[in-house]
Amino acid sequence: MNKISSPALARRTFLTASVAAGGGLMIGFSNTKSAKAAVPTATVNAWVIIGTDESIQILSSGAEMGQGVLSSMPQIIAEELMVDWTKVTTAASPSSPQYLNPVTHSRVTGGSNNIRSWFAPLLTAGAAAREMLVSAAAQQWALPSVTGLQAVNGTVVNTATNQVLTYGQLAAAAALLPVPTSPAILSATNGYHLIGQPVQRPDIPLKVDGSAVFGIDVRIPGMVYAAIKNAPIYGGTVASVGAAPAGAQVVNLGNAVAVTGSTTWGAFQNAGKVSVQWKYPAGASTVSSATVAAQAATLMANGPAAVGEKIGDLASSMATATQTLTMTYSLPYLAHACMEVLNATANVTPTSCEVWAPTQGSDLNVYTAMALTGLTADKITIHQTFLGGGLGRKFEQDFVAQAILASKALGKPVHLTWSREEDFGHDMYRPMALSKVTAGLDASGNIVGWNNRLVAPSVLETHFPQYVVNGLDTGAIEGATDLIYAMPARLVDYAMLNSTIPVGFWRSVGDSVNVFVVESAIDELAYAAGKDPLAFRQGLITDPRALGVLNAAAALAGWGTSITGHARGIAVYKGFGSYVAQVVELAALTATTYKAVRICCAIDCGPVVNPDTVVAQIQSGIVHGLTAAQWAQVTFTGGKSNVHNFNNYAMIRMKDMPHIDVQIISNPTGPVGGVGETGVPAVAPALANAYFALTGTRVRTLPMFTAPSMGGG
Amino acid sequence: MTTSTVTLNVNAKNYTVTVDTGTPLLWVIRDVIGLTGTKYGCGVEICGACTVLVNGEAEKSCDMSVSEAVGKKITTIEGLSANRSHPVQVAWIAKQVPQCGYCQSGMILAVSTLLKNHPKPTDAQIDAAIGNLCVCGTYQRVRDAIHFAAGN
Repeated sequence: MNKISSPALARRTFLTASVAAGGGLMIGFSNTKSAKAAVPTATVNAWVIIGTDESIQILSSGAEMGQGVLSSMPQIIAEELMVDWTKVTTAASPSSPQYLNPVTHSRVTGGSNNIRSWFAPLLTAGAAAREMLVSAAAQQWALPSVTGLQAVNGTVVNTATNQVLTYGQLAAAAALLPVPTSPAILSATNGYHLIGQPVQRPDIPLKVDGSAVFGIDVRIPGMVYAAIKNAPIYGGTVASVGAAPAGAQVVNLGNAVAVTGSTTWGAFQNAGKVSVQWKYPAGASTVSSATVAAQAATLMANGPAAVGEKIGDLASSMATATQTLTMTYSLPYLAHACMEVLNATANVTPTSCEVWAPTQGSDLNVYTAMALTGLTADKITIHQTFLGGGLGRKFEQDFVAQAILASKALGKPVHLTWSREEDFGHDMYRPMALSKVTAGLDASGNIVGWNNRLVAPSVLETHFPQYVVNGLDTGAIEGATDLIYAMPARLVDYAMLNSTIPVGFWRSVGDSVNVFVVESAIDELAYAAGKDPLAFRQGLITDPRALGVLNAAAALAGWGTSITGHARGIAVYKGFGSYVAQVVELAALTATTYKAVRICCAIDCGPVVNPDTVVAQIQSGIVHGLTAAQWAQVTFTGGKSNVHNFNNYAMIRMKDMPHIDVQIISNPTGPVGGVGETGVPAVAPALANAYFALTGTRVRTLPMFTAPSMGGG
Repeated sequence: MTTSTVTLNVNAKNYTVTVDTGTPLLWVIRDVIGLTGTKYGCGVEICGACTVLVNGEAEKSCDMSVSEAVGKKITTIEGLSANRSHPVQVAWIAKQVPQCGYCQSGMILAVSTLLKNHPKPTDAQIDAAIGNLCVCGTYQRVRDAIHFAAGN
């Protein structure tokens, strides 16, 4: 249903692609409405555009959804380019192939992988552009070589003569030069001067005066506003469509209808008025949270299950246990609830297709457009706007496909927006999960065996079935395998549970489930072994990076000290190439109400591009994880969601906030790790572990607390 | 649908618009007048993304009828200041508050009203006044920036 078309792409080396783009005029999409006087610019290489007015624009191929990638990728380039960061502007790159991620070969922003994949290539890109500018200066001064020439702050200086040429004066000539294949990486010998600095993000000024253009803000001449009405019950298709409301047009999209209006609000009203007859597959209207839970229990007991990880001989190892614990955890479906609802703008003509969208996967949008229009890739342009949150939902193709189909049918540009009710009702939810751990301890409190079965719907099966091998969804079990704890025998298996309820990637994906399970179970084992939860973990972890964040978070939180009416819980994990530990300090407000008052987090993500952004992202992930752990769940009845707006999907607000302290472990020479998702997974177990420490009651089912009222009209 | 013709004063400029009767102020601002800094979030006055100033006080515009806005001074994020010079905007840049930024127009306008009514707000006053939803979770920086703007 949600299968993503993504033909295998030929591997392209970065610099080859840069050469191809080196001489051409870059046409990117401006994320801001501020009109600029036309100044001649030159595209030095695929990433760097320099104006004769000394303006420096550096592109980012990432989707900017709050994580700062529109700043951090250019910051890496600027490190080697030698320019004044305060004069740099940034913009989203076009969707052409040279911007495909060198590791994933796609343009998908997800999995916290942009900086991980691009760190070294972008240093090279910045260095290549700098060497071209220096070579252009040598040409201009008719020097036989670049010896004695230095790139300084947007200029090239001849150290012998003190002559200076600016990048603006050199860019046009530089753009005609060949791109160096192995430019000198100055930071490799001199250290970083810009990477690691808490520079200001160039997109932030646009976000305080309303000038940032999100997908929902795109306005194209001749466009009509449209709203969506998806089949109310999952799996439904259009049987027939009644008359269009006066002045409106209705487009049958197969499993939804698009309805126009004179404004978006008018389109919402018209969508409510259209009479649509739907047809449903057998049983679609009987799917509910209860039917899924019953299936999960059956699969937990009987399988079948695919082996995800097998270490040692579990049966003989468990025979040595002096005590065995069996712990079953249950997690709900979750919504993404991006602040910006799904939307897209498309202009399809017989010979072209142009799309403006808040998308996490602009290259996937190209394939979607090709499939729906029959046009070739060169006739398709995708403009990636700012995203008002992505969280995994805006990687999906449904909303973009709908705008393309509606524009094609109506023969004019269409700006299609989902109402909040459609957005909640037709999310692709974080899968529910039922997960059981049976673990054995020996007399010394060591873990001798660990058996974990996860039952959960498969995101891969619905999106990329070709990657599911023998029933195993490797994304679903992320965080359940390759644990940081020493144990001689471990078996992790997975039973796939699919239903009509659509599922998708949700910030931190499998880790959002499995880290709760693992770190809750480890905590339970610690108490069973009669050990302090921190000391128990310290005794089982040998990986120095895991120990480093664990000890740092504990020290930051004052682990071991006590505050009356408060208690702490701890959790640690590795994921997305980084290590994260968190301590939640939970306070009892009344006999039955609790508040996380402080959360301390330590992260080791290797080299840090912008520490201020890392801190912001960790805070963000913690808030996201805390909302989920405390309150969030989507339930289903009659084959549809019971959640329709924020009134029954409570989220953290100002008054609910804990104070968050973040410590970044210095590791500038380590492997580059991800950040955007890493703040999420440890919150839920640290909160549940704090709750146990405070109350003596173990919570194995999320969400933990009754959601408060969000108010509203 | 019946239509209404009304004159609205937005950012010190008069706009005479003909809209479907019942169209909320939010959508007139966004889709008719064309100022897109004011955002749609929930449509039911919960999230605060649609916050504008009505005669200088923060109000949610998603469920406010156009007729209620007639004769009042409406200020959107685009009209808060020239050149991002309002103390809240200055603080928002200094403290690098926005992440995705979608909720921040409403957040900034809500905070501008808070600071007008409580120039030196306490944390409790901030908690009580600022109910805007930010799914990115920028709240800690919002609080820091409010204190910064207040000179606390």
